[in-house]
Amino acid sequence: MQKVCLTVNGREVSAEIDERTLLLEFVRDVAGLTGTHNGCLEARCGCCVIEVDGDVVKSCNVLAVQVDGAEVTTIEGLAPQRLAPVDHITTQSLAGMYRPLEAVRGTPDDLHPVQAAFHRCHAVQCGFCTPGMVMVLKDYLEENPEPTRDDVRRAIAGNLCRCTGYQHIVDAAMEAAAELRGDPAPEGAAHGATAAADGG
Amino acid sequence: MRPFTWLAPDTTEEAVALLREHGSGARVIAGGQSLLLAMKERTVGPSHLVSLGGITGLAGVTTEPDGALVVGAATTYAALTRAALRGWHGVLSDVAGDLADRPVRNRGTIGGALCAADPRFDVPAFAVGVDAVLRISGAGGDRTLPAGEFLLGNGLTAIGQDEILTAVVLPPPATWDAVVFEKFRHRVFDAAIVSATCALRRGSGATPAAVRVTVAGATATPVVLAVDAGATGAHAGEVAAASVLPDATDEPTRYRRELVRTLVRRTVDRARTQQGSA
Ligand SMILES: Cc1cc2nc3c(=O)[nH]c(=O)nc-3n(C[C@H](O)[C@H](O)[C@H](O)COP(=O)(O)OP(=O)(O)OC[C@H]3O[C@@H](n4cnc5c(N)ncnc54)[C@H](O)[C@@H]3O)c2cc1C
Ligand code: FES
Ligand code: FES
Repeated sequence: MQKVCLTVNGREVSAEIDERTLLLEFVRDVAGLTGTHNGCLEARCGCCVIEVDGDVVKSCNVLAVQVDGAEVTTIEGLAPQRLAPVDHITTQSLAGMYRPLEAVRGTPDDLHPVQAAFHRCHAVQCGFCTPGMVMVLKDYLEENPEPTRDDVRRAIAGNLCRCTGYQHIVDAAMEAAAELRGDPAPEGAAHGATAAADGG
Repeated sequence: MRPFTWLAPDTTEEAVALLREHGSGARVIAGGQSLLLAMKERTVGPSHLVSLGGITGLAGVTTEPDGALVVGAATTYAALTRAALRGWHGVLSDVAGDLADRPVRNRGTIGGALCAADPRFDVPAFAVGVDAVLRISGAGGDRTLPAGEFLLGNGLTAIGQDEILTAVVLPPPATWDAVVFEKFRHRVFDAAIVSATCALRRGSGATPAAVRVTVAGATATPVVLAVDAGATGAHAGEVAAASVLPDATDEPTRYRRELVRTLVRRTVDRARTQQGSA
């Protein structure tokens, strides 16, 4: 057994764990954050991507002991106000979640711009790949504010999506990039409007 | 995964001592990107893991007085991609930035790629291609070995059980005037099926003084070809196809042979043109 202490989304989590515990297992089973998904356990699908000290990693291919002491950000950390557990769903709380798509923008007390763009562009179908996609794209767009659609496709080369065919994910990434750059929102916020322009 | 004891030394000396103490069951772990895959499948089951993660000085890039580039074995691909390397040393950044995916590049190290010695990996191919030298530390002292002598087969290297690869040394910029690396894979995320490296040194006339052509992926270890310094890309491609995979009878091998021919032609042509314009 080995003692491991991580700061997960700003909260300190420490535990005596089996050395074999993967970072993915630490996040899900010890920290109790199940937004990070286990899709393949062999570094193929990208569903388990989280940030460790500011760099994205595939958490299924890292031992928790390897990153002892690190600051970890998971998908839950991108929209902190959503961390409060919803233990009683009411019509009011549901109504509060359903707003016109155009109204969903990335603001500090709402979603991260990448999450908001995924929502607007219908880049989520079953949602299994979404946490990893969002984490990789957030990290990528911070370093590359003006990507082409081809750049975006390369950035998510290690993330598999079995539902969307990637088109709407690329749309969302392009919209999020524009929003992160501070470009004015397009008239009428017609999501995916850029898709046809460069053919992919 | 089989149970193991976790050991996190602070220095290379300590790490070597731990490897020695725990014998054949002990294994080095750097980024873990290859090792953990194998451990999860239980194709390997080390009794002790000796982590390089806490050893300062094993990651990072420095330059020797003669211009040789010393890349610490625990330097990640991501760090190499961000490093500002001069001249053809910069091709290493390009190679490191165009393999696996973003998250894997943040963990995978170049020392790990060399020690894993997978024939499809890019860094071992490039290291042999530019005639890099590897620095190894062990209980018996330090030694160096050319990359071509380090790689012995699929997953096999010349490293001893109680030795650690500490650095990859790229020769000074003046060694080559042009270095070109090309690989072929079906999808961006796939490992290369074949790769080729051409390193070229200019001569006084139109003919280069030296050309080093290396092909990897098609064979268990990279092959350095005997190519005439004056050979055109097309000619070098013929030589490569005939010598790397001489008996291509089945389709997969013939396919690889065509890749060898094409990639060698391209790298040599590109290196020769770069030579003119450099
Ligand atoms: C999804 C995925 C895609 C990939 N795609 C590519 C690709 O397209 N091209 C490519 O080239 N590679 C690719 N790789 C492989 C990648 O390059 C290697 O996994 C990585 O570089 C290994 O480095 P590491 O630090 O993680 O090594 P580890 O996994 O920690 O170690 C690998 C082996 O080397 C030994 N070792 C490591 N460092 C040392 C040292 N300093 N001294 C002695 N022994 C040592 C270990 O004991 C182990 O046996 C891919 C990997 C993954 C997971
Ligand atoms: S679960 Fe980690 S990459 Fe698939
Ligand atoms: S939305 Fe279902 S896998 Fe991507």
